[in-house]
Amino acid sequence: MSLLELSHVVKRRRDGEREQIVLADVSLQLAAGEHVAVFGARRSGRTTLLRIAAGLESPDGGIVSLRGDSLRELGDSALGIGGIGYLRKTLRGNEEQGVLEQVGAPLLAHGRSVGDARLHAREALARVRACSIAAARICELSPGERLLVALARAIVLKPVLVIADEPTGGVGMSERALILTSIRALAGDGLAMLATTGEPDELAGADRALTLGEGTLRGPAEPGLAPVVALHRASL
Amino acid sequence: MQSPMHSAVNWALLGLVIERPSYAYELAQRFERTYEGALTLSSVSHVYTALATLRERGLVAELESDEPRLRSKRRYEATPSGIAEHAEWLIGQVNEERRRQRVLVTQLGALAGAPERALAVLDAYEQACLTEAREAPAQGTAEGPGVTRLVERLVGEEARQSVAAKLRWAQYARAQLQALPPRRVDAPPPSP
Repeated sequence: MSLLELSHVVKRRRDGEREQIVLADVSLQLAAGEHVAVFGARRSGRTTLLRIAAGLESPDGGIVSLRGDSLRELGDSALGIGGIGYLRKTLRGNEEQGVLEQVGAPLLAHGRSVGDARLHAREALARVRACSIAAARICELSPGERLLVALARAIVLKPVLVIADEPTGGVGMSERALILTSIRALAGDGLAMLATTGEPDELAGADRALTLGEGTLRGPAEPGLAPVVALHRASL
Repeated sequence: MQSPMHSAVNWALLGLVIERPSYAYELAQRFERTYEGALTLSSVSHVYTALATLRERGLVAELESDEPRLRSKRRYEATPSGIAEHAEWLIGQVNEERRRQRVLVTQLGALAGAPERALAVLDAYEQACLTEAREAPAQGTAEGPGVTRLVERLVGEEARQSVAAKLRWAQYARAQLQALPPRRVDAPPPSP
């Protein structure tokens, strides 16, 4: 059984009198621990695809399921502990807030104690290689550091899958590599990842890459078989 | 006049000898490390055959030694003409790459009368690009001093930039093909 499955997903948008098809019969399966990258230009439907994959938007047709359970039925619990971590790039709260408070906020919303939230926030920051900013306030952070905080917040509920729409968007070139390294570290850590990008070099290291354009997802829709590796290298 | 040397393996091996003088076994090992996934040696004897060709053409020479050496212990260095001809071949490769790309694109244009076929070719082209993009080394993974690291950085950046351009071109070409007006179905010719 797939970790996440989108089956024949259709999404339409109404623009005045005109109806536009954003996603036309899109199917995609993700295995546990798999890193899938989707390359698409602006207005290709990539954000809609990810919002539907995370259950933040409902499709007009088709089914999205997590571990076999329909997201429609799971409701908000799909984004809860051990579910899907959706990267929200905008930090909430005021600028004077501390990083640990920001990262641990989802745990407080789940009724955990402040101490517990801080502990897990530190752990999440370590996983995205951002321990050095744990004591900072939000107003002191660079755009790249803010994104790392957002990424840590997305994994603080220990999701099995992280969904990230253009994770390096709005970050300068000098900090882009930092974000990509953190994302690859998470993927290498056994976390499944579904990310979109408009930059082909961000596909590097993904287990699978697909393109999205005119509402159509192109590429291998299912996890591939493990590559065949020779047991003995030919000696020279 | 000698016929041109076409073997990419021979030229690649010459490149390694230019980088630094080596003996056959070491060259085979460096060859595997450097060109993994791009060029393949059939066996270690392939290196001896290639070195013999390079020597006959005056592109490499055996480093002088006072003692007689086994074939496997002979060290080779590039000659001045080897260095010059290698540079010329490299320039030729740039043009060759451009020519091949142009042939591919022109052939695709020739399928404009059957857009569904052209789109199928384009899908396959795009998939090959995606695989290349996934397998390209991530930026920042080859930092540090030294020629080896420099080569890795250059190879990585070339792969990243060229695949980015190809993917964008594929999307442009698909949009162009999809925008073609539907073919008119002509009435069959009247039977005699």
